[in-house]
Amino acid sequence: MSAVVDFPVKPEARPYLEAFAESASEPDWLARFRKQGLDRFARQGFPSRRSENWRYLDLQPLEKQPLLPATAGPFAAAPELELTSAWVRLFIVDGTCRSAVFRDLPEGIWIGSMERAIRERPDLVRSAATSDNSAERPFAALNAALFADGFVLDFGPGVVLDRPIEIAHLASNPGASHTRSLINLGAGSRATVIENYTGAGRAGRYWRNDVASWRIGDGASLTRIALIEESADAVHLGEVTATLGTGAKLDAFALLLGGGTVRHEASVTLAGDHAQCRYDGAFVVSGREEANIVTNIDHAAVGGTTSELIKGVAAGSGHGAFQGKIIVREGAQRTDAKQTSRNLILGRRASIDTKPELEILADDVKCAHGASVGDLDEAALFYLRARGIPTDEAHRLLVEGFLREPVEGVADAAIRDHLLGRLSARLARLEQWT
Amino acid sequence: MLQITNLHVRLKDGREILKGIDLTVAAGEVHAIMGPNGSGKSTLAAVLAGRDGYEITEGSVTYQGRDLLAMPADERAREGVFLAFQYPVEIPGVNNMYFLRAALNAGRRHRGEPELDAGQFLRAVRGKLKLLEISEDLMQRAVNVGFSGGEKKRNEIFQMAMLEPRLAILDETDSGLDIDALRLVARGVNELRAPDRAIVLITHYQRLLDYVEPDRVHVLQGGRIVESGDKSLAAELERRGYGAADAA
Repeated sequence: MSAVVDFPVKPEARPYLEAFAESASEPDWLARFRKQGLDRFARQGFPSRRSENWRYLDLQPLEKQPLLPATAGPFAAAPELELTSAWVRLFIVDGTCRSAVFRDLPEGIWIGSMERAIRERPDLVRSAATSDNSAERPFAALNAALFADGFVLDFGPGVVLDRPIEIAHLASNPGASHTRSLINLGAGSRATVIENYTGAGRAGRYWRNDVASWRIGDGASLTRIALIEESADAVHLGEVTATLGTGAKLDAFALLLGGGTVRHEASVTLAGDHAQCRYDGAFVVSGREEANIVTNIDHAAVGGTTSELIKGVAAGSGHGAFQGKIIVREGAQRTDAKQTSRNLILGRRASIDTKPELEILADDVKCAHGASVGDLDEAALFYLRARGIPTDEAHRLLVEGFLREPVEGVADAAIRDHLLGRLSARLARLEQWT
Repeated sequence: MLQITNLHVRLKDGREILKGIDLTVAAGEVHAIMGPNGSGKSTLAAVLAGRDGYEITEGSVTYQGRDLLAMPADERAREGVFLAFQYPVEIPGVNNMYFLRAALNAGRRHRGEPELDAGQFLRAVRGKLKLLEISEDLMQRAVNVGFSGGEKKRNEIFQMAMLEPRLAILDETDSGLDIDALRLVARGVNELRAPDRAIVLITHYQRLLDYVEPDRVHVLQGGRIVESGDKSLAAELERRGYGAADAA
């Protein structure tokens, strides 16, 4: 059954409206939430390049040939991270949570699929859903209408889990996967989450539309790592909205290593005083890949700190972009924010855009930002070669050395080593060095 | 080992820097090349190591019977040519140990020898670090990043000790060193002296030659070798200065 609406619908939104099917078994609030999302998407359609937040991403592939939700097919097993700690794992295959492994979870942690959370923790999901401000976010609106599953992680006050929680997202069939997740950390709790996004060889052309909401309570701390290694034909759009309470801490790192079109957007609000946000990222593009990292950090309270380091490498005909906005609201005195964007371009056909933006409405603040785009250091290259290192290997060493800095900010040694290993593997198949 | 014949080199902007160098260095010998600033000493070192940006307009360089100038820089190094840089380059993000192992194994692969694993490599490193009094934690840092001037120079000699070149060219390694660092550098060089190895010391001052005794001393001036002699020439130059050599 398709949705019937009585207002003009953007043409590119029409196939999605037609694919929308109401589910009789869902609670009313969720049905309403889905309808509202669908309406918003129908009115807005795809963001145009005139939209500031989307100006660097080419969505033509998705517009020309819509990708509707994947029909269930055989699915592959998710690859395991080489994390040796006894972890907590969730597999999400083609947008649906397929299995979960929990070992020795302390009291006070609820973790499970979004589908189960809607049944067992409706109040939690509902409060997060209704606060979802996706007015200007058409893909989050479409996600609200179409999401099938995802996960929910809820930590009670003071609950600390030092072992990482691993969420493996795997695409194993063509089509679209709309996933939605929620991380809710009670006051003083602490969690580390690593999410990796991959595509199985036969997945072909797929679209992942992942929407996450994080609520980090007073004094709580979330470390979150995203490792994005999608297939060559994939479109990956990820949007995170995070709210930090008083003295809360967010330590996030996104590593974009693969996928035809990849966009990682984070909107973080430092709502409580003295909250701390570190948002680092790195991307590597080659071939005809596109990768965008977009951050919006909103300092709404006193004494907050932000630190961002984003590094990008583009080779072949790849295109990368970083857009980072930091807003310091009128009352957000003694904010300390720093943003750095560093980029390397390898070859004449590769390109990178970088656009740092500060909007400061308070007067007692410390804000710094810097951006650079360049090519490999010839003196360093000669130094390596003068020690016998072949030119290709010298290039790889320099590029890897350039990208290591943000990765080394990851505190967990096992995760860091895993990321460095994936980075080396990615650089080994960078087809063009200069 | 090394034979330079009538070598003429100019920069891309057309300025001629080397105007007919003739120099023969046999295995087992240590040669010192001295000269005032701007005489072409560093250009000679850079051309031998294979740095881009120079045009060889005339002459030849033969190394172990092969045309050195036809080899790319990295191949020269794998064939045993080592340049200790006057200004060692800082490379953020590239770990010193990792870099050195990559360099050592590139040479070993080239010679058909098995690569060293991390353990074997570490054992080899420890012995040489001790010789040059370099602390191990310096090795865990990025290449030359945050090193003092003296540490950078000692790191060059340490790399030389690890890579065991056939032909080592030291470009003003002694400049900017205090007397203790100078002694350590000299110790590293003397340790490397061997019948199957040649060493070329490029220097502005006689100081290093008090610790490393050269077999031959050459004076490079205005792009030419204007005078050659035994070690006593260095002491003489120190006394009379390069101005007099010009007249000689």
